[in-house]
Amino acid sequence: MIEVAGLRVVRPPATVALDGVDLVVGRGEFVAVLGRSGAGKTTFLRSLNRLVEPTAGTIRVAGRAVTGAGTAELREIRRQIGMVFQQFNLVRRASALENVLAGRLGYVPAVPSVLGRFPAADREQAFGCLAQVGLAHFADRRADTLSGGEQQRVAIARALAQRPAVVLADEPTASLDPSLTSSIMDILKAINVEHGLTLVVSQHQLETALAYATRIVGFRQGRVAFDGPPSALTPAVARMIYGDGP
Amino acid sequence: MTRAAIFTALVLLAWLVWDTGADPVRLARGVPWILDFIRRMMPPDLRVLPAALAGALTTVEIALLGTAVAAVLALPLGFLSARNVTPGAVFYPARAVLNFLRSVDTLVYALIFVAAVGLGPFPGVLAVVAYTTTSLAKLYSEAVEGIDPGPVDAVTATGATRLQILRYAVIPQVLPLFLSYVLYRLESNIRAATVLGFVGAGGIGFYLQTYLRLIDYPAASTVLLVTVAMVMVVDATSSRLRDRLV
Repeated sequence: MIEVAGLRVVRPPATVALDGVDLVVGRGEFVAVLGRSGAGKTTFLRSLNRLVEPTAGTIRVAGRAVTGAGTAELREIRRQIGMVFQQFNLVRRASALENVLAGRLGYVPAVPSVLGRFPAADREQAFGCLAQVGLAHFADRRADTLSGGEQQRVAIARALAQRPAVVLADEPTASLDPSLTSSIMDILKAINVEHGLTLVVSQHQLETALAYATRIVGFRQGRVAFDGPPSALTPAVARMIYGDGP
Repeated sequence: MTRAAIFTALVLLAWLVWDTGADPVRLARGVPWILDFIRRMMPPDLRVLPAALAGALTTVEIALLGTAVAAVLALPLGFLSARNVTPGAVFYPARAVLNFLRSVDTLVYALIFVAAVGLGPFPGVLAVVAYTTTSLAKLYSEAVEGIDPGPVDAVTATGATRLQILRYAVIPQVLPLFLSYVLYRLESNIRAATVLGFVGAGGIGFYLQTYLRLIDYPAASTVLLVTVAMVMVVDATSSRLRDRLV
């Protein structure tokens, strides 16, 4: 589902964020990406839909080349990649439903959408996604009146509205009260199990990653330092990923 | 460094006082003249009240129409001169043109437009449009540059086009700011428009200048009082509206 080869990302002037990443993720996997901050987790996720432009290497998602895709083609590929962010990234002044509708933008006719009009089918679909995360009753509430956990659920609904093949989640629970971690991770797990979507989730909490993921990928200094099932992640490996030795 | 800066500033100030002939003694000697001027304005001649009110209405109309047209004209300019939504090839020329046009004040524009289209409120409207468009464009572009990039990332990730990103991630964030800037400009334009009549561009300034020339101080004081009342009413209304926007 995701094929990454030789991915390098260098930020000007000379910060190497990713230093040669090779990774293949199969359909339906739930991959947790671990690593210290600055290890390249966020850059890796953001380069998969080219919110960050790769310096070198190739990326394919759902059978299509992300790297080298032209503007229109890139938009079509992005439709298939839902993304959830640490800070939710909702439009604060818009309603929950309007935020979820943004997930349909890649599909709806361009001109009416700019005027704020969406086909009825897309509205229904967006409402359905909001119901799926348990927030149908908040459809008309302004996003900034919702709690952090609710905002992140709206953001997940927005990603689902894209009818994606892959969902990327960048530290989806890091801005939330720890007690809310499981509610968000449960929703992501349900998406993974019930809809067969491929998930790549970066996590700073080791225990959470072990509890939900089917596969752990550990980043260290811009490279993949560990790749295996949760059961293979021994304390020694964890120290290697998180440790402060060279 | 600091000491040298303070010394330089003091020298500069001393030179400015000398070069402008700023002289407290001369000001003190002028006080009786000012008092005499005020005494001769009393009591205000209320017979010119209808003329003063008509002039005030024209001034408000000039400011309202000019600000409204400028608020719309400034939109494309504001986005084109915002670094984060416009490529450098467009951004730099747009900024340069704006900075050049903004260096000319409303009153100077009024002189030009009176020469171009003749006397009356119309050149006043044109002058307000010319100056306000550039100053609002500058304020708009700063608002656009100050947005939270998170929603832009999120909407970009859905596969939206540039225009859709603008509509769904940028505009909802800046619209309340834009409206508040427009109201703020309206307040300053009311004040600017009061002197437009001095150069023949219509409004209450025409009456003030006429009565001063005729040495009819009681009439002039009525016009002044109407001006003050008009500015206060507009300021109060506008700031109440602005409070509601935030």
